[in-house]
Amino acid sequence: MSAELAPKVVPAGPALAMTGINKRFPGVMALENVDLTLERGKVHALMGENGAGKSTLIKILAGAYRKDSGSVRIGGAEADIQAPRDALRLGVKVVFQEIALISEFTVAENIFLEKYPTNRLGAIDWPAIHASAAALFARIGFDVDVTAKVGDLPLSQQQMVEIARALAHQARVVVMDEPTSSLTPGEVELLFTVIRRLTDLGIAVLYVTHKLAEVFEIADTVTVLRDGRRISTRSVSEHTEDSLIQDMIGRRIETLFPRARNNAGGVSILSVEGLSTDKLKDINFEVRAGEVLGFFGLMGAGRTELAKAIVGFEPIRAGYIVVDGRPLSPHDTRTGVALGIGLLTEDRKTEGLMLELPVSKNASLAALGEFASLGFVHESRERGAVQEFVDRFKIKTPSLDQEIQYLSGGNQQKVLLTRWLMRGLKVIVVDEPTRGIDVGAKSEIYAALDRLAGDGLAVVMMTSEMPELLGLSDRIAVMADGRITAMINRDDATQEAILNAAIA
Amino acid sequence: MLLVLLAVLCLAISINSSRFYAIENITGILRQCALVLIIGSGMTLLLITAEVDLSVGASLAFAGVIAMDATNQTGSVWLGAPAGILFGGLVGLANGIIVTRFKVTSLIATIATMMILQGGVFLYSRQAIQNGSQLPAFSTISTGYFGPLPMPVLIAAIIFACTYVVLRHTLFGRYVYAVGANPYAARLSGLNPERLKLIVFVVTGLLTGLSGLILASLMNAGQPTAGHGFELTVIAAVILGGTSLKGGRGTLLGTLLGVLILQVINNGIIILGWDQELQLVVPGFVIVLAAYLDIVRRRDNVR
Repeated sequence: MSAELAPKVVPAGPALAMTGINKRFPGVMALENVDLTLERGKVHALMGENGAGKSTLIKILAGAYRKDSGSVRIGGAEADIQAPRDALRLGVKVVFQEIALISEFTVAENIFLEKYPTNRLGAIDWPAIHASAAALFARIGFDVDVTAKVGDLPLSQQQMVEIARALAHQARVVVMDEPTSSLTPGEVELLFTVIRRLTDLGIAVLYVTHKLAEVFEIADTVTVLRDGRRISTRSVSEHTEDSLIQDMIGRRIETLFPRARNNAGGVSILSVEGLSTDKLKDINFEVRAGEVLGFFGLMGAGRTELAKAIVGFEPIRAGYIVVDGRPLSPHDTRTGVALGIGLLTEDRKTEGLMLELPVSKNASLAALGEFASLGFVHESRERGAVQEFVDRFKIKTPSLDQEIQYLSGGNQQKVLLTRWLMRGLKVIVVDEPTRGIDVGAKSEIYAALDRLAGDGLAVVMMTSEMPELLGLSDRIAVMADGRITAMINRDDATQEAILNAAIA
Repeated sequence: MLLVLLAVLCLAISINSSRFYAIENITGILRQCALVLIIGSGMTLLLITAEVDLSVGASLAFAGVIAMDATNQTGSVWLGAPAGILFGGLVGLANGIIVTRFKVTSLIATIATMMILQGGVFLYSRQAIQNGSQLPAFSTISTGYFGPLPMPVLIAAIIFACTYVVLRHTLFGRYVYAVGANPYAARLSGLNPERLKLIVFVVTGLLTGLSGLILASLMNAGQPTAGHGFELTVIAAVILGGTSLKGGRGTLLGTLLGVLILQVINNGIIILGWDQELQLVVPGFVIVLAAYLDIVRRRDNVR
């Protein structure tokens, strides 16, 4: 058996047609009568807020879930997708956010995982594997060492390996789930180039995303889902950003970046002087009460390291962190919190949430001591306080006892924000506060951060998203290679100036 | 669900044997539950913090030997008994330090201490240490009664109640869950996961020492071979009770039911006159079944 690289003969008609798809989960209709048609050689964007049904739809396509009813036709033929291997066999490849490769295997091994090419003696034909793998990458115009271990590659390249796997299986449909969520701008461009190659090969691409700008750049058609229903399917050229947002959330957002605070002349709350760690070099800055200081930097610039260093989670080589006149002593992991610094981490799942615990316990964790006397927790007081925040932030949850893993990303983030607000804070550091969060919830998170600053907190925001950097920050610090390369005032900030400093 | 399982078991056994509901049989079951429940209370906390202690069986035997020996040497149960409990606590402390300071996974660390203790107890004493001066006070620890309740059952009930309250209603209990569910988030929130785990290791150790003391009292001797495989009985009961090995999830009521179910099964096998070997086989199947049902139940919850 040798690797068959020629595309299968593709019959006329749409590459994929899903019609009348229904899927019910206990207590909720996840998908109701949803239609989706993908044309060959086109990029079709799938948008919607979290919980709109995007994931459910692509999981049905991938064979991870089974539909209750409706039909899926691939290349005109009825497709019965019961399990992930069916999807692949029928020519549908889904590239999930969490890359599903074996990190200990090489690139080439991963690509031909299901069927290694063998020679006449039945032994694995390594030269053929490596040559075929290299040929696949040549077709998408991407250069990678096929004998490298996948685990050693950056995420962006692992994504390319997944795409090459799709070609190896002669996929006619490639689904990409939020593919740019952890890519740098340069990597995004590269990905778009590869996607265009795929469409040139006649492959239909379903592109699932939250990011409006990407839809306008890469997609031909866009389908918007909301609450499990299809709201619209239109050519991208018929849409404006406003009309897309309106379809997604069913209402207009007045402004994405509300600004209610008035922060004239607050006192300096946080000052960082000459801070150096393994990654950071001589970082100096101050944040005043009521101010939002935005940090921008490309991947690897050291934003997350700085966020962690400020709360005392990275060993400090030199320098000081002073909160309200009190210095943070090195090597004391408790001090950051004790001094009133909270960190909203970039990685909600592994560094923030207690997935199997209820909303109330997730929210109250940092402030629990305030609801206890003699070591005993007054649960009614605790729940009362949590309930106030649930109401204030409009956190959508059936009850305080719901396990937090079942909430949408935006609501999870609001609960984590609550965790810090319940505790009297002076400084809050937020690292990528809206990663994986839909537009509606985004504006609410922005409003919350604005309000925190308005209440006199110093807000430090690490972000790679230009709009939120420009929309929310009073001042912008740009980082590159562990240093601050520019400090720009809000009024002087332009995208070019920021990017130039980030590349420096 | 476990309650239903327990009820069905009791019903099934009692239909087939009238002896099941005899007072002596019931107290017998409870007496057997006592030791498992005492250590199981600590083990539940430990599993919730996402750690485990496999050395409890070996520590149990060693603690019993120490308690008996110290009693003989000093001629006083009041000195001997605490010595046994303290020994267990020290083993817990050692486990805790190896895990939290040296960052050795608890599975490996406690297998190692288990081996050290299993061998060490024989280096300490080649054979069982008898109650040399025949102090009646020593055997009273296990044979005494408080009203209708045998002493071990009373002790277990008190330990269980205390741990229940601590886990359910105190800051410490809430932090135990938090540390198991997400140690990073816990540390970020100002907790010290290492210190908390260390405390739970020591608690489990102390409870193991206490059980060792009761077991030695029951046998009226410190028996180096006692407690072989006991760690698995305890962990099986805790897991059967729905506590997750991954941490963050579990309840003491579940552990209580787990202990009762396993002991009722044991008892049923004896009074129905079945093969003794089934005492291992049947619980094995029950645990697989319970774990599977748990997965099914949780999968149905997933959106």
